[in-house]
Amino acid sequence: MGVLASVLGVFDITLDKLSDGELWLAQFFRGLSDGATYASVALALVMIYKSTGFINFAQGSLALLGVYLAYIFSVEQGLPVAVAVVCAMVASSAVAMLVERVFIRPFPPDHVLPLVIVTLGLLLIIDSAVGIVWGFRTRSLPSMFPSGAPIEWGIAQLTWRTIGNLGTVFAVVGLLYLLLSRTKVGLAFRAVSSNLESARLVGIRVGPTLGFGWALAAAIGTLGGALVVPDLLLEPSIMLRVLIFSLAAAALGGLDSMVGAVIGGLVVGLARNLLVTFLDLSELALATAVAVILVVLLVRPTGLFGSTRVERV
Amino acid sequence: MSAPYLEVQGLKAAYGDIQVLHGIDFSVAEGQIAVILGANGAGKTTTLRALCAMVSTEGSIKLAGDELAGQRTADIVRRGVAHVPQGRGTFPELSVEENLMAGAFVRSDPEVRADADRWYETFPVLGERRGQTAGSLSGGEQQMLAIARALMLRPSLLLLDEPSLGLAPMITRSLFEQLTAINADAGTTMLVVEQNASLALGVADVAYVLEAGEVALSGPADELAADDNVRRAYLGY
Amino acid sequence: MRAMGVVAEGSRQHRRRQIIGWVLFALVVALVPFLIADTYSPTIFGNRYTFGLGNLSQAIAFMVAILGLNIATGYSGQLSLGHSFFVGSGAYLTAVLVNEFHWSYLATLGVVVPGLFVFGVLFGLPALRIQGLYLGLLTFAVAAVFPSIIRLDNVADRTGGSNGLLIDSDLEAPTWAPIEKITEWLHAIPGVGSRVPDGLTGRQEEAVYKYFLLVIMALVCFWLVRNILAGRVGRALVAIRDNPLGAAANGVNLATYKTLSLGISAAVGGVAGTMLAMHSGFVGPDEFGFSMAILLIVGLIVGGSGTLHGAVVGGLAIQFVPHWSSQTQTLPGTDVALEGPYGTAILGGLLIIIIFALPGGAAHGFRRLKGRLMPVAPQPPGG
Repeated sequence: MGVLASVLGVFDITLDKLSDGELWLAQFFRGLSDGATYASVALALVMIYKSTGFINFAQGSLALLGVYLAYIFSVEQGLPVAVAVVCAMVASSAVAMLVERVFIRPFPPDHVLPLVIVTLGLLLIIDSAVGIVWGFRTRSLPSMFPSGAPIEWGIAQLTWRTIGNLGTVFAVVGLLYLLLSRTKVGLAFRAVSSNLESARLVGIRVGPTLGFGWALAAAIGTLGGALVVPDLLLEPSIMLRVLIFSLAAAALGGLDSMVGAVIGGLVVGLARNLLVTFLDLSELALATAVAVILVVLLVRPTGLFGSTRVERV
Repeated sequence: MSAPYLEVQGLKAAYGDIQVLHGIDFSVAEGQIAVILGANGAGKTTTLRALCAMVSTEGSIKLAGDELAGQRTADIVRRGVAHVPQGRGTFPELSVEENLMAGAFVRSDPEVRADADRWYETFPVLGERRGQTAGSLSGGEQQMLAIARALMLRPSLLLLDEPSLGLAPMITRSLFEQLTAINADAGTTMLVVEQNASLALGVADVAYVLEAGEVALSGPADELAADDNVRRAYLGY
Repeated sequence: MRAMGVVAEGSRQHRRRQIIGWVLFALVVALVPFLIADTYSPTIFGNRYTFGLGNLSQAIAFMVAILGLNIATGYSGQLSLGHSFFVGSGAYLTAVLVNEFHWSYLATLGVVVPGLFVFGVLFGLPALRIQGLYLGLLTFAVAAVFPSIIRLDNVADRTGGSNGLLIDSDLEAPTWAPIEKITEWLHAIPGVGSRVPDGLTGRQEEAVYKYFLLVIMALVCFWLVRNILAGRVGRALVAIRDNPLGAAANGVNLATYKTLSLGISAAVGGVAGTMLAMHSGFVGPDEFGFSMAILLIVGLIVGGSGTLHGAVVGGLAIQFVPHWSSQTQTLPGTDVALEGPYGTAILGGLLIIIIFALPGGAAHGFRRLKGRLMPVAPQPPGG
């Protein structure tokens, strides 16, 4: 019993906190809001994994670049934030297509390991380029959504931002679903993901199709970054943490499932906020994400919604 | 005899440093069914892959007089060459319907829908499962789907790599009957790689026997079927 | 350059050539610290670059870190993006043992090596089920989490939290070490001797002593790893990397060797951590974050994955590329100063270029060059 007491003591659990319904609700809302942002970046990771079979470790960096562009368009050029974010999504897609064309396409698509290493190189280059161009000063990017909360229960507030974040993610998933299932380019993308050789044999141009996937993923990642950054401050290392949480979300969802990415994102967001609040583990927030990845990979490598597939490395 | 529809000259192909085809010549007239026979590793599959630019090649590949060598797979497909690869010719995560639509990827004419319905009639089992994912079909059903997927291109040249692989003899026979019917009906030129030599020679007009990356024998299918060496080596009687 | 004559493998000439090579290597390793005890600082295109003993010592520690990574990733093919975790653990173990228990640096190896070995094996157990990309994903996350573990409130009074730990033990050269004497001799040599200072300051003497300590530790690590890899274990690991099914079919116990390789890899990484702590006398949480993990991957690939020489080149690369880059105050022809993040960007570019142009890394390139300049005919089998 002494051991248990000391463990509880370490985590500083107080019954007061646990029985505080408003606190629960407040953290639930915050968790959903954070989760929505993780879900967006996780969606971007899943898109690349589905089509190419590797994890793009530079996904967070492309999003970082996009968010800085959104900052330039909105704060420095004076565009409305939402418009600036859309412009940044377009711009980061263009960069991603260029990156795919120059750095990724020259490699045979079935050699996953060199490609993963190349994305690590891209991470180094893009992150430092952002540091070179914009420096390490922190900046703040306004949110796309109005401040204030339409619904309040004591300290628990359902803010416009939470609603906006969630709404955005569900809209992205909806549009993505329509794009992939109803359009020709979507069919091409899914065909390439499913069977590269047969995709070639029905006349699909594989390279441009994968370039399209990179562009789409970068746009979604940028949007996710634009959702998360208003809560924090913008500086060059900000997306690394987001990337780790999003990797956990993607792993939990199953790496190749888009629905899984969204649910995984929400679960990770909730788990993080509840753990941090009730166990006072703010320094361990990142570690919980790692624990999620570890447990998922050990217990159920296909995640909650992923399909089994042969490990390609 | 008119100029052949597909004319291949001095075709070489290699995987990295390993040369598989050492300069083969063959031709198929328009509307004919040609079969390629040969032992494992003789280069049959590579020949088909070479025609679609799926391996690096040298030599000349003329389709209706146009040079295909040097073109990219996507462009060769747009010239009307459909290829059913060995074993995995479908998109397992896509539904049967989507597989057919992917097969018609390069077409934009209004008759795609009618064609899909036609192949659902020809292969009723596909029609019953049009909403299911291809990966959930049996091996035979997947093979039919792969062929239907290729036919959705309205190909002028259909390349088939071991269509009978893993199929029950009954199904194989009916598959070949359907292929001859399609050939008679639409005049589709076909080039078939097949292990089941007696069946293939039965439906083919011309045959080529590959040995170690070179054409060892060639001629009308019925003559080869009667050739003692071929009978001993490939027909087993 | 003209190629030398072809010599047969194992022949007297070949052995003589090998011996000459090793003697030259030993001479360079032994003389360099004296030559750069006064930091060598040439000016190239108006930029002043430094090549000092401190940088070289840190590069040697990085070599050992890459050597450890090489065992897990280069030889047995397990993508580890979190090697910095082991290096950091080793460094912190050393720092805490020295500070709180007043052990000597070298004595801490008695805890670091077995401790990290066990740690690596424990880490390797889940890694048995998690392969390839998934392992990369997990280790990447583990690397990113190390700094926040160090900062945890519960351990911060031990680890120094965000401030890091200053290690309160100096590595003064023992009185028996003839560093001063050797300096005097070298200085007396005409010509070359002019580069060697007339006498060493206390700090210089300490730096030279540290350098030799680190060199010896590195040599022992390389020698041990070479012996391990040259034997049964090494063959098993390479077999696992290249063809796991075939290896299993030939009776290689995948589980044993994979966990073993992670254990050895972690232990060597821990030694590298100790070496870094010895080098700088300080450990800080952010030094061992994911940027170091990626830096080590860069070193591994740039030097040459799966080769021992590669670790040497890689260690030099990840130390000196950012160092010299940050000293480029004006890039020739422009007024750009390559400070801070430029070095990282250059390393990222180097990584991609090497993957493109020289997939075997620098070691592979050197070997080809050497094969052309000094050809050796292989011994015919059974001859």
